[in-house]
Amino acid sequence: MTHEVRAVEKSVTRSRRRGRLIAAAMAAPAVLLVAGVYAYPAISTLLYSVTKVHVSPFRLERFVWLRNFINQLTSGAFWEATWITLYFGVMLCAVTVVCSFLIALLLNRTFLGRGLVRVTVLLPWAVPPVASGFLWVQMFHAEFGFLNGLIRAFGGEGDIIWLGGSTIALHSVLIAEVWRWIPFATLFILAGLQIVPKAVKEAAAIDGAGPWRGFRHVTLPLMLPVVVPVVIFLFVWAMKVFDTIFVLTRGGPIRGTTTLNYLTYRQGFVDFNFGSAAATAYLLAGLTVAVIAGLGWMLARSRRLAGM
Amino acid sequence: MIATTHTSGSRRFKRVMTYAAAVAVLVVMAFPLYGIILTSIQTEPDIRSPNVAFVPTYIEPQHYQDIFDEASGIPVAESMVNSLVVALATAFLTVAIAVPAAYALHRMAVPGRRIILGGLAAIYILPTLLFVLPLFIAVVQLGLYDTYIGLVLPYVAFTLPFMVWIMGSFVRSIPVEVEEMARIDGAGLPQLMFRIVIPLLRPGIFAGLLLGFILAWVEFLTPLLFTSDLSILTVTLGLFRSTMDIAIGQLAAATVITALPVILITAFFQRNISEVVTAGVER
Repeated sequence: MTHEVRAVEKSVTRSRRRGRLIAAAMAAPAVLLVAGVYAYPAISTLLYSVTKVHVSPFRLERFVWLRNFINQLTSGAFWEATWITLYFGVMLCAVTVVCSFLIALLLNRTFLGRGLVRVTVLLPWAVPPVASGFLWVQMFHAEFGFLNGLIRAFGGEGDIIWLGGSTIALHSVLIAEVWRWIPFATLFILAGLQIVPKAVKEAAAIDGAGPWRGFRHVTLPLMLPVVVPVVIFLFVWAMKVFDTIFVLTRGGPIRGTTTLNYLTYRQGFVDFNFGSAAATAYLLAGLTVAVIAGLGWMLARSRRLAGM
Repeated sequence: MIATTHTSGSRRFKRVMTYAAAVAVLVVMAFPLYGIILTSIQTEPDIRSPNVAFVPTYIEPQHYQDIFDEASGIPVAESMVNSLVVALATAFLTVAIAVPAAYALHRMAVPGRRIILGGLAAIYILPTLLFVLPLFIAVVQLGLYDTYIGLVLPYVAFTLPFMVWIMGSFVRSIPVEVEEMARIDGAGLPQLMFRIVIPLLRPGIFAGLLLGFILAWVEFLTPLLFTSDLSILTVTLGLFRSTMDIAIGQLAAATVITALPVILITAFFQRNISEVVTAGVER
């Protein structure tokens, strides 16, 4: 009797172990590949960040401990890039979310030609970032660009040098990036709007809430758990933006559009200073994680408030 | 009576506002795309004229002929073949690796599955350049610089975390009961996967292939850093290289040609792509 139970137990544990082994084997290619292409380089980059790296031929010369980090944290260019990055990130999130929310509210209604508007809104997402970079070069061109042409067509001066000054160039890059990310954000928010139960909105309308109050007190709080992930996604994207800056401004004029990510690229692949680049990359990673942690806390709070 | 006219009036006002907003959205979102197409069919002097013509009066196909001409500096046709090969390989490899991984991570007892899933999500947060420096060195040292493998390998790895996450949301939408029933009927893991799970995942797999293809097609940083030879030029890099010396009209034509496949895929399969995003929201 006990023998039999033991035998059954044994075979159960054996089959369970076998199941685990198979499961691990199924996940292994993905995990190993990701580990090889992420974990190994991430650790190597950490090593570079505390050493003096000789690039060609490649060797680690000597440990400099935190020298690379201190050099970054005491350099004006680093802090300039940090503020530009943060400003860019906040603006990208704010402008994209507001525009996308409005477009999503529109697409949530029924009207003739909604399908056409939907496809058109989705299209910028499909344009390769480099291609969209050129497209905006053509839009922003000071002499024969389309934006100035449009301004002239409406009787304005139309002589804005869109990529000329640091501040205006940063906002031009921002316009190009907002245009690129509206499709994703709109789709996400629209999907969220369609989940908000109609019954809740109708109840609010019966209670005498006007459209604005209904939106402010019913739709918006219910949408927060959808909007916050969009903001997180957009912010992460803003921290990584590269192609558009590379094509439109190359980080200029006078470092005006040099975000931390672009600074990393410059230090690594223009100056071939891998130590500095590694330190900057890690500082950027730290900044991103800190902001995301803050937003994640907000998400947890908004979920609690929305009762989800 | 007064009340009804009031409502119908405000309803009409609402309708007008809706259509006005729809037109505004349509114009603003489509304008840059329209602009680049317009540029690609104009003659060079007209492109460089400050009097921008917003409505074309003629169609000049010369730029398109020029970029496919052998004599032009940028092998556009060849770069499209390169991108096609690399993007197809990336799409199929990524999905083939992601589907079993997503299934195992969500439905089976993989040791440390929470940590693995968390790690996959966390990787997305970190800047790509954090990984690229040592990869660049590894690619050079392993002799993968300027090779297809040197492109496909990083593409697959960069797309995988996202793909596992997406496939995960599709795997979770399969009712557990269906799988349990198959198990009771004596189906082993291979039968379960090939007879039940993969057929049920078909829409997800299709969407995943589309996304994998698109992400590889538009990738720019990897070919910029890991290739330099013209024979392995991808479309996005070719587009960038062509800024150096060719006419704006040709550049515009090349931009249209580069964007066209992805735009067509998106327009055709917008429902499938929307599904991916919706699956993310409903989670």
